[in-house]
Amino acid sequence: MAVPAIELKGITKTFGHVVANENVDLVVNRGEILSILGENGSGKTTLMNMISGIYYPDEGHIFIDGKEVTISSPKDALDLKIGMIHQHFKLVDVFNATQNIVLGINEGKFDIKASTAKIKETCEKYGFEIDMNKKIYEMSVSEKQTVEIVKAIYKGADILILDEPTAVLTPQETQKLFNVLRKMREDGKSIIIITHKLHEVLEISDRVSVLRKGKYIGTINTADADEAILTEMMVGEKINLDIERSTPHDSVDRLVVKGVDLYNKEGVQVLHDISFTAKSGEILGIAGISGSGQRELLEAIAGLQKISGGEILYNNPKTEKVEDLKDKTPLQIRNLGVRLSFVPEDRLGMGLVGNMDIVDNMMLRSYRKGKGVFLERKKPKQLADKIIEDLQVVTPDTKTPVRRLSGGNVQKVLVGREIASSPTVLMAAYPVRGLDINSSYTIYNLLNEQKEKGVAVIFVGEDLDVLIDLCDRILVICGGRVTGIVNGREAKKEEIGLLMTKGYKAGGEADA
Amino acid sequence: MRKEKTREPLIHIAKRDVLPTWQSWLIRIGSIAAALIFCAVIIVLLTGENPISIYATMIKGAIGTSRRVWSMLQNVAMLLCVSLAVTPAFKMKFWNIGAEGQVLIGGLATTACMILLGNSLPTYLLIPLIFVASMLAGAVWALIPAVFKAIWNTNETLFTLMMNYIAIQIVSYFAYVWSVPKGSGAIGVINGTTHNGWLPDIFGQKYLINILIVALLTVLVYIYLKYSKHGYEISVVGESENTAKYIGINVKKVIIRTMLVSGALCGVAGVLLVSGTDHTLTKDTAAGRGFTAIIVSWLAKFNPIYMVLTSLLIVFLQKGAVEIASVFELNDSFSDIITGIIIFFIIGSEFFINYKIKFNKKEENA
Amino acid sequence: MKKFLKVMAIVLVVAMLGMFAACGNGDGGNEKAKVKVGFIFLHDENSTYDLNFLNGAKAACDKLGVEYVIKTNIDESNDCYEAAADLADQGCNIVFADSFGHEDFMIQAAKEYPDVQFCHATGTKAHTEGLANYHNAFASIYEGRYLAGVAAGLKLNEMIEAGQFKAEDAKIGYVGAYTYAEVISGYTSFFLGARSICPTATMEVQFTGSWYDETAEKEAATLLINDGCKLISQHADSMGAPTACETAGVPDVSYNGSTATQCPNTFIVSSRINWEPYFEYIINCVADEKAIDTDWTGTIATGSVVLTEVNEKAAAKDTQAKIDEVKAQIEAGTVKVFDTSKFTVKGETLSSYMADVDSDADYTPDTEVIKDGAFLESNFRSAPYFDLRIDGITLLNEKY
Repeated sequence: MAVPAIELKGITKTFGHVVANENVDLVVNRGEILSILGENGSGKTTLMNMISGIYYPDEGHIFIDGKEVTISSPKDALDLKIGMIHQHFKLVDVFNATQNIVLGINEGKFDIKASTAKIKETCEKYGFEIDMNKKIYEMSVSEKQTVEIVKAIYKGADILILDEPTAVLTPQETQKLFNVLRKMREDGKSIIIITHKLHEVLEISDRVSVLRKGKYIGTINTADADEAILTEMMVGEKINLDIERSTPHDSVDRLVVKGVDLYNKEGVQVLHDISFTAKSGEILGIAGISGSGQRELLEAIAGLQKISGGEILYNNPKTEKVEDLKDKTPLQIRNLGVRLSFVPEDRLGMGLVGNMDIVDNMMLRSYRKGKGVFLERKKPKQLADKIIEDLQVVTPDTKTPVRRLSGGNVQKVLVGREIASSPTVLMAAYPVRGLDINSSYTIYNLLNEQKEKGVAVIFVGEDLDVLIDLCDRILVICGGRVTGIVNGREAKKEEIGLLMTKGYKAGGEADA
Repeated sequence: MRKEKTREPLIHIAKRDVLPTWQSWLIRIGSIAAALIFCAVIIVLLTGENPISIYATMIKGAIGTSRRVWSMLQNVAMLLCVSLAVTPAFKMKFWNIGAEGQVLIGGLATTACMILLGNSLPTYLLIPLIFVASMLAGAVWALIPAVFKAIWNTNETLFTLMMNYIAIQIVSYFAYVWSVPKGSGAIGVINGTTHNGWLPDIFGQKYLINILIVALLTVLVYIYLKYSKHGYEISVVGESENTAKYIGINVKKVIIRTMLVSGALCGVAGVLLVSGTDHTLTKDTAAGRGFTAIIVSWLAKFNPIYMVLTSLLIVFLQKGAVEIASVFELNDSFSDIITGIIIFFIIGSEFFINYKIKFNKKEENA
Repeated sequence: MKKFLKVMAIVLVVAMLGMFAACGNGDGGNEKAKVKVGFIFLHDENSTYDLNFLNGAKAACDKLGVEYVIKTNIDESNDCYEAAADLADQGCNIVFADSFGHEDFMIQAAKEYPDVQFCHATGTKAHTEGLANYHNAFASIYEGRYLAGVAAGLKLNEMIEAGQFKAEDAKIGYVGAYTYAEVISGYTSFFLGARSICPTATMEVQFTGSWYDETAEKEAATLLINDGCKLISQHADSMGAPTACETAGVPDVSYNGSTATQCPNTFIVSSRINWEPYFEYIINCVADEKAIDTDWTGTIATGSVVLTEVNEKAAAKDTQAKIDEVKAQIEAGTVKVFDTSKFTVKGETLSSYMADVDSDADYTPDTEVIKDGAFLESNFRSAPYFDLRIDGITLLNEKY
């Protein structure tokens, strides 16, 4: 057998008490695409960061072409022809693509012409379609990613690591990326692709290596794998992929959004004439590429952002009055008797306070209750205990700062608190992002429970499979415009994917 | 397989698991020990003095006599008072480095009351009036940058710093206006014969009242920060403004309210300095406490109870260092060097509490 | 947690042991009831003002073989009281402070420690406080300035004779700090000394509002030179005025020490107070259990007022000889610096003047100071109180 391009032996890395990787072995051959599969937090990115010189392993050995090497900086990695495309791009916004690609290369005389020619050659060889004179800030996410890949290849990488490259791409863009990757494989390059999307793994890779909770589980040839096998490797037990969905009954219009326009701080219009209705007892999904205005929409409803036009109407089930939430602060909305709960995308930066313990985080919504100037911690403590028990939050005690909890437990605390105030509208932005499958299902079940209680649930998601399985209706937005509302029971992934990209292709003509 | 000759890093840094309290304190105490050893080397190299006798002199200088113990406690009380004042703002991540000016303006209000009303008001009215006026003055001085921050998002660090200079110049001006004799630029001891507006001695101890007031303030600030709704809002705003907005806290209001509290506490420090100890006002009355207080507050992680310890440590070092300068006829700067080194080590120890350094084992050739 | 407490306990015990050990050391070697002096200085040796005291203190103590403790950088605040009380507490029999603003705090400490002698330079309150253990001290520096003025007069005469300017243009420039009596007494005596040699001399005074502001003093000196002043002197502590003179090539009489090395072409002579005699005096008083004068004024005769060597290169011929001659006359009493027949105020010769000797906020005149045809400076208290605006001197600004 040929000498592998990279071989890892017994790699261990810890961060404080968290073991990110434990005794991991891994082999990548020349001319193959290897998928690293694992749930969020299984240590995939950490492992790759050690290959690319961001971290240094506590223990273990790395071999490149059979020779043991020490990679203590990204420059070392580059010298060994290893290139990594990070989830968060590392590009200079005001430079164009070419400038970003040649940035940091030190090869004596700087010849932009020769460089441009070389870049062009690279692009043609692998089929990249990109305008090299476009500034980064004018680019779409997919274009930026392309620049990162070209940059890595230009710098001589023949081992390419991609960290969740498809997370930010539409299905069409993903296909394009996969085509490029296949061409690179033909060219003899080794490609490592980190992902947790099973169908992509099956589609693109030759072999799959699976990590679970920092440990190396095993590697199998893709040809021998199917979703069930991989899922079992990933989660350790067979998980029912179906999400239960009940039929909505006695639905009434709870929240009516009409023609909402919104400008961000920079004066850019991020929401254009958004209209929809959220009904009690159903889950309304919101699909869209991230950054299409989902966050702004939810924040506008919650009173955190000012809208410049349109109205947000709430039908109060108790008083049967209609309240306009426009130009109201969160406190004013609450004082109107609107029971609106919101699980924001940024859990520790908005929904919770990382350095506070669980009890104090429970108080965020309720600390004003009670007369007097002092806090009342008894009820929040009871609530914390209840949530820990009901949702099986793994924590030493209620005094632990929430930032020390794992992502799934953080989310359970947040969702638990938001549900505790028995809302009539529950908005959740990416509530399962970064969560393992078990935690994700806990969240789905909680949302379904709320729906059955008659709450109008708004769910912003990124995984189309989940959206289609969970939601009763799906609102698709693109570039801040509504491009369609589809029935969750009948929708096809391709149909939604098309609506999600409509804004880019058709100049934003919405036909809802 | 042949091992490549590579640049193996000798050490690397890894984040630690959370240490038990006693272990982190062991590291802190160890860092002080290391600082003392390091300083000893510096002392021998630079002066040729015996480091043990230098340290003995430090201890003697700080707590050698009962007078010195009282004097140190008084200084601890004053530093602690200003530290308590800056803490609510710092906890809110409002970088108020204007405590110096807020204390001075508070002291100016005290001085004004003592000079202008000292002979016309009875003590039982004068002393409460002094407290009210000085707290108000300090609060106003803190309010100005807070309002600018809340409304126009100006940089509070620069703003509060500049407010210090304005306060210093205003005090200089009034020191000239009220100087005795006229034109000398120094106010001298105010009401030296009548003692009007002076805080009273308790049990014959002139500093005891200051110490008691600050002890009370320490408990109050601790309760305010930990158990009051205001304190909770301060924590939330400090940790994450987004969260604060998300749960409907009016961030502007909290900023302004907290700075009012900070400024008022600085005003109390002004009263204690002018009415309690100095009985005069100069532009150096605050004596840099507004800045040292930041170190005290930070080292104590904004916990008022820990601040008792950190202010004690810093005053102990200062007192000891001054004694070294005096006994060994070393320049004052030398004692500052030693204080600086020790504080540097203490701050540095936080790094070792949060991170560990691993030495890579020598590996046998494969 | 238990382990932590144990560690803390051990640390505390060690600290306490160290404390007692330290205390034990301090008590040794006290068998001879020696004099111990504590000194409180506003700044440290980087300030010329404090350095002058510091040198005198060390010289006197070393000469008499007494123990001393020096505290530098003591603010004019409660710090001064703390320092004074701490020195007294340490067993000092004498505590000395060098800055005007220390006075109130020295008095405060003096009241608390009646067995310790508190001595304060430049202060004004000893004679009114009525404390047996609190004393003021100063020196008749106006005598030194008068002599320096003589040297200046000689230089002016030489320049007039050389035809550099006419006699009526013999204008002197003076850089002063504040419009205090101390400064007025200084420039007036300097002017009277110069006019005793060069009768046509006049003077302009420029105030800076600071005892030490190099830039302001330099600017003031330059302004005076541009205004036609032919010679400059100063009563402020920086090198501002001397260097301005050296740059412009104008003769300069400086203060507090020789500037001959920095200004070799223009420095004539300088006067200063030598504190060594005073320190010796108070140490001897305490050692002999004699009372210290409430107000002590050092004079040229006691060696408290001294002149530096004359810089031959810049000074007029025979300057040293003339200085020695006048000095002898002052010591003998035949020449009085503030002889009322030698100056007028608003055109009139004074025969009576009430000065503010007893310190108060508003300079209330309280003491008749003219007697036998002379203004008795530093007689009723050690610190100067001559504050007359005599004819021939123009004050350019009086804002300080």
